[in-house]
Amino acid sequence: MKLVAGGRTSEIAKFGLWVAAILLLAALADDAFAQGSPFGGPRPAAPVPVDGVVGWLFAKQAEFYKQFSGLIRASKEDGTAAWSLMGLSFLYGIFHAAGPGHGKAVISSYLVANEETWVRGVVLSFLSAIMQAVVAVTVVGIAAVLLHASASTMKGAVNWIETLSYVLIIAVGARLFWVKGRAFITALRQLGRPTAAVGAAVTPAHAAHDHHDHEHDHDHGHEQCDHHDHGHDHAAEIGHDSHSEHDHGHDHSHHDHDHDDASAWGHAHAPEPEELAGPGGWRRGLTAIVAVGLRPCSGAILVLVFALANGLFWVGVASTFVMGLGTFITVAVIATIAVGARSLAQRIAGAHSSYGMLAMRGIETGAALVVMGFGALLLGGYMVSERSVGF
Amino acid sequence: MTKHFVRMIFALAGLLAAGASACAHPHVWVTMQGELVYAPDGSITGVRYNWTFDDMFSAFATQGIDPKKPGVFTREDLAPLAKENVTSLKDFGYFTFAKANGSKIEVKDPTDYYLDYNTKDTVLTLHFTLPFKAPVKAKELNVEIYDPEYFVDFSFKDMKEPITLAGAPAACKLVVARPKELSVPAGQQLGEAFFNQLNSSENWGAQFANKISVKCP
Repeated sequence: MKLVAGGRTSEIAKFGLWVAAILLLAALADDAFAQGSPFGGPRPAAPVPVDGVVGWLFAKQAEFYKQFSGLIRASKEDGTAAWSLMGLSFLYGIFHAAGPGHGKAVISSYLVANEETWVRGVVLSFLSAIMQAVVAVTVVGIAAVLLHASASTMKGAVNWIETLSYVLIIAVGARLFWVKGRAFITALRQLGRPTAAVGAAVTPAHAAHDHHDHEHDHDHGHEQCDHHDHGHDHAAEIGHDSHSEHDHGHDHSHHDHDHDDASAWGHAHAPEPEELAGPGGWRRGLTAIVAVGLRPCSGAILVLVFALANGLFWVGVASTFVMGLGTFITVAVIATIAVGARSLAQRIAGAHSSYGMLAMRGIETGAALVVMGFGALLLGGYMVSERSVGF
Repeated sequence: MTKHFVRMIFALAGLLAAGASACAHPHVWVTMQGELVYAPDGSITGVRYNWTFDDMFSAFATQGIDPKKPGVFTREDLAPLAKENVTSLKDFGYFTFAKANGSKIEVKDPTDYYLDYNTKDTVLTLHFTLPFKAPVKAKELNVEIYDPEYFVDFSFKDMKEPITLAGAPAACKLVVARPKELSVPAGQQLGEAFFNQLNSSENWGAQFANKISVKCP
């Protein structure tokens, strides 16, 4: 990469495009499974192929859902029907997680914003899906089985839980936005400085440094290709660390902004490998799990109450957990795509030093905004994730 | 340049958030019968509905209600639930979108409402009359019944006569448009035509609307 003063603007434009492309990719990954059109907004101009997949998913889940009552009834007399019910629950979970209300969008945005690893993404998906099942069983178990409460009481409980969950989503997003937004601004500020530095003199030493950086990061890229393992990500993180140290030293000689530089890569939450997966890291993830998993799925609640009315509460409970497993699979796939898109972005960005840094911070800030936006829209009732049971 | 960049990120984030438009699948199925109520002078005063819910929702709605005879819910047992239903239906405009000669018809609070329970099918039926604010005499009356969020799936019980026109002037004719069928013919590949059936729009549920119109020349 040649760093010529005149090439700066086109470089930024190129990066803008990259960021746009990656955000779009992430959006498609979310939306391909989530809803009718990639950008749902008012009437898309042309039908996008993913529409079809969604249409099919949609027809399928309605079809599955309609079979629940028949299979639950049949389970009373016929044990094999219970097995069919479990199979149905699993499929329904997979397909239904494709619809909104399961926080895939929130989870994947969170993963992008928070620089999570694939393993953590999958674990987060699993725990939030299982938590959703636990909440559904708890609500119906306490309200209907123990308290013999009416449907409207249950609706009230679900509404309350829902509100809490949306507030939590906003909080998670706001925290990320605070951390990443600051890092983004720092990266933005830094952009101006090298321009002056390079404009003053593109010394051979500088060029050599940049070149070295380039190759250095490139190697990491290859490593990422070869083995997608947990351990590797840390290696990459360390790589960036040393990189940022390099920047630090470099800038320090020109300006005394060591503080800004240190946080430029936005590792506000400690990039040390042991800390990333350590107790602190998981605790952070827990908030996201709770925020997303707190909201029970209406379908599961209806199935549980129907099973209860038929004297088969435990069959309903089993079905709810199997549904949760299905949900997990879909969410994990989407989480994988999100993490993959992010590391792809990181690889591309890594090759372009400070612009790459800016791009990554931009993506993260954008993703944090998305998390916050989702929470706010859900809380404000501008976006209906899934109407709570009945009316 | 950087300003553009920031703006673009914000725009994309906004797009992403907007992308999560509602498109859940229905959780409640309603099979309905309707009747347009005519006054002696030939004007329409409202709609009389019978809405039968599916068994899962019926089980959910009756949860916690103790009938005198187990499993047999009487009209009296269900009276509080019926009141609750019509009250909360108001927030959804009774899922009824009526127009007379192209202008919107305002409705009043339902009257004569009650729920009954079919012990054989274990389903609830909600009966209610939805009165128009003022009697309507129109060359063309359109009524659409649907849930914009498509949480509730409405269908007519009798497609031949989805809505009866008791006491309507003889010249009036009923025209029915069924909602789009979301099904794939057996053995047929999922073609583009099927996918195109599903258009995303702000009023997503509208494509599943049941439309009737009454034309009186």
